[in-house]
Amino acid sequence: MGEPFEPVLLRNAGVADSRSIHTYRARGGYKALRKALEMGPEAIIAEVREANLRGRGGAGFPAGVKWGFLPPDRKVTYLCVNADEAEPCTFNNRVLIEQDPHQLIEGMLIAGLATRTTTAYVYLRVEYHEPFHILQKAVDEAYAAGLLGRNILGSDFSMECIIHRGAGAYVCGEETGLIESIEGKRGWPRIKPPFPAISGLFGKPTVVNNVETLCCLPHIIERGAEWFGSIGTPGSAGPKLYCVSGHVKRPGCYEAPLGLAVRELIEDEQFAQGMRDGRRIKAVNPGGFSVGWLTADELDMKMDFDDPRDYGLLGLGTAAIVVMDDQTDMREVLLNVTRFFAHESCGQCTQCREGTEWMYKVASRLAAGAGRSEDLDLLAEITQTMGMMPGLSICGLSDGAAYAVRSIATKFRAEFKEHIRRQTPGRAEQVMRQTNPALYDRAMGRQTQSAG
Amino acid sequence: MATITIDGQEVECRDGVTVLRAALEAGWDVPHYCYHPGMSVVASCRLCLMEMMMPNPQTGEMGWAPKLFPSCQTPVRNGMVVRFDSPKVHAAREQAMEYFLLNHPLDCPVCDQAGECWLQDYSLRFGRGYGRMLEAKHVNPKKNIGPRTLLYQDRCVLCSRCVRFCAEISGTRELCIVNRGHRCEIDVFEGIALDNKLQGNVVDICPVGALLDKDFLMQQRVWELQSAKSICPVCSAGCNIRIDHNRGRVWRLKPRYNDRVNDWWMCDDGRFGYKFIHDPRRLTRPQARRGNRLEPIAWRDVPEVVRFRLMQAVQQHSGQRTAVVLSPMMSCEEAWLLATLIRKAAPEAHLVLGHVPLTGDDEHFPVGCEPGNAKFTIRAEKCPNRRGVERVLKAAGGPTMDFQQFVSQATAGELSAAWVVGGYSNDWVTDELAAAAEKLTWLAVQDFFPSKLCEKADLVLPACSWAEREGSFVNHAGLLQAFDRAVQPPDGAQIDGQYLFELAGLVGVYSGGRVREMMASQDAGFAEVVEATPEPAFAH
Repeated sequence: MGEPFEPVLLRNAGVADSRSIHTYRARGGYKALRKALEMGPEAIIAEVREANLRGRGGAGFPAGVKWGFLPPDRKVTYLCVNADEAEPCTFNNRVLIEQDPHQLIEGMLIAGLATRTTTAYVYLRVEYHEPFHILQKAVDEAYAAGLLGRNILGSDFSMECIIHRGAGAYVCGEETGLIESIEGKRGWPRIKPPFPAISGLFGKPTVVNNVETLCCLPHIIERGAEWFGSIGTPGSAGPKLYCVSGHVKRPGCYEAPLGLAVRELIEDEQFAQGMRDGRRIKAVNPGGFSVGWLTADELDMKMDFDDPRDYGLLGLGTAAIVVMDDQTDMREVLLNVTRFFAHESCGQCTQCREGTEWMYKVASRLAAGAGRSEDLDLLAEITQTMGMMPGLSICGLSDGAAYAVRSIATKFRAEFKEHIRRQTPGRAEQVMRQTNPALYDRAMGRQTQSAG
Repeated sequence: MATITIDGQEVECRDGVTVLRAALEAGWDVPHYCYHPGMSVVASCRLCLMEMMMPNPQTGEMGWAPKLFPSCQTPVRNGMVVRFDSPKVHAAREQAMEYFLLNHPLDCPVCDQAGECWLQDYSLRFGRGYGRMLEAKHVNPKKNIGPRTLLYQDRCVLCSRCVRFCAEISGTRELCIVNRGHRCEIDVFEGIALDNKLQGNVVDICPVGALLDKDFLMQQRVWELQSAKSICPVCSAGCNIRIDHNRGRVWRLKPRYNDRVNDWWMCDDGRFGYKFIHDPRRLTRPQARRGNRLEPIAWRDVPEVVRFRLMQAVQQHSGQRTAVVLSPMMSCEEAWLLATLIRKAAPEAHLVLGHVPLTGDDEHFPVGCEPGNAKFTIRAEKCPNRRGVERVLKAAGGPTMDFQQFVSQATAGELSAAWVVGGYSNDWVTDELAAAAEKLTWLAVQDFFPSKLCEKADLVLPACSWAEREGSFVNHAGLLQAFDRAVQPPDGAQIDGQYLFELAGLVGVYSGGRVREMMASQDAGFAEVVEATPEPAFAH
């Protein structure tokens, strides 16, 4: 990449006292809100649609289209700001909230204006203690400055803002799980239809938008859809925060246009600056656990909304790039990933509840050096029957788990095979019988027969 | 009406139903756990999946969508094309059955549900027959969740029916789900037991052996049980029930579906209210007074004694000093036989509707709802057939009085002969009634348990419980519902209808239907027996 990208979302990051309303205003903040108040809801929605702002939470659904699903004759509308950020190794919302909370509030206000929102709920990841205090302070400042509450900036637009802290569940990042959680219930995703736009929070029309999506809004309003569209690629417009972590020299949250190659983000001097200790890359997880994994040969993948599908991945995800070097044992990676999904499956749908746990058990055995080569086929089959086929579960968690495990088990199959080959013969049976005495009664292939 | 195509066959279905419902009603065998027609849809078991024709988003051409749809959640639309019989659906079901059994203990030999278990049935019909998980199963705990119910969480499929039942039908919300993923458990909140009057239904709707009735625990294998269609006698609601019995003993009561009465439910008062049947203290033999003592007599002598002594009393004191108390525990047929008999012998005798036990107010569920919105109601009137006996009295004509008048007239010495039918499952005789009985010169008592009244009687006849009889009850809403006999009366006892039949001079074996035909000639209403709507086979 040539010229350094002029930061948009991280415009105020690193500036002294960037969290205060004064700094935000001094650097041009809340101008977009005034402009939006003059434009009115229709024009805002049109502008956002034209900019083709796609949701940054992972699924990439166009924000303007999502707002269009709201019933026209509604009295109450809720805006839920998804700041649950539970995808492993993702921390861009945290940076946005910590560095520039007023940008989020301005984005919320613009989205609220466009959707005629009466109350905005920020669903904040419970582990984010400091961001909570920062955001709460910013909300208080905004109330004091007349930017939240009744008749914002003297207009007839009123919007309340409530910060709701989660309780540490990954599934509450799913929009209906999030809504249930705000309602005080168990975070079990709802069956759709009805979609939240028709009947969401407390049964009212609701829009759920990601923090980063909302943070784009002030810039779209201020600088126009055309400018926004000029950043990134045609299908995937705008700036994006990439969270690069793992065995790289300079992990961190970097802003760049959508559509960069994975390799660029890992190796470019502006970003992660290559691998630590001169190691080689073995595997990359380019969008949070649930999208799946890339091998070292697949680093030309573009970080946009379409290219990942060609690499057998679920999608762009949260654009959190986790880099593993050649010393990483993929069995441990698989164990970590399956443990995560087994722990976070909400337990509602059978396939996800049982499948995630089964995969974790198989992965544990593989990691303990007691694998069988059939286990790799079994893992691939479980992923197929628990998630890869849509419709098997209410939300996308099982799909995410399936993509993650499937890509590891198939793309790194040779490595797993090699580990299994090096095991003591009969080790798998031995270990399994230690944990499950019932297996003494069961024929398990050649080795069992010779032993029995 | 909408017409949809399922597996290539056109099916007419009601508007607004889901595809699952339409398919089940049309006879398709679609597996499902979480769907219950009486409760909200959660679409979480993911067993009723189907394929659906959708227009291709690019070309607009109709084709099978790549996605599977839960049929329990998809409403029917006219012209819709779906299929259950496809390799994709069969594969998804097979795999789902393997998932359900992954951590299931497979302890069918010691499980009460075995034989009526939907895990067994679906495994057989849709499963694969083997599991491939080699690791040890995750074992969730067994819990005592209430005074009458146990939860074996290791057998649970997390369909959440029980949780929804407590939230939506009983309204008591004791049950919840705790933990996440495969560690999910049904549980009660701390310090709050599953203890409401409808809680027994959670055992019925549990499709597997996770929720267990302590009363029935390890008592019988269900395939040994025989069932009789019956009506619950505990209150005037007239819930349709099934009596499960084996070798002359009643082992449990289960509700039968009737959308005009009780839907799928029954209350615990009824469910566990049958225990008095097998009480050893009950009266089993007819007894007649000889001097100061009651002595057993043979059944064949009873008509003689009744005719002789009753006619004697009527002749001596005129029929006006004679009263016959018909209990609201009697069936319509028995009440009619007795009333007809008396009217023939003494047209001026008083017919009395017996003691009607009342307890508090009607209890509506969900708890706290308006009576009009109730999904289930336990009636305050704790007898099954007040309205039926009233109808019989009306049909019989002639002088009547109420029970209180009977007691006061007897106390005042204005009556000399009486025939009192009880049949209550508890000790119902008040001191006032017992004192009044002293004033009578001749008293016949038909009752279930020995009481102070029996001690004063000249003739004691044993009553049988409803499970031993057949007949019909008229419930609080005026619906006439017939019930069948489940078990034989204990040795020595004879069913009430039979000896009344014989007393009335009729020949042969008593049958409720035969008597109802005779009754219908007097009051056509008695021909209108309300049959329970056939229970849809899928409402398991």
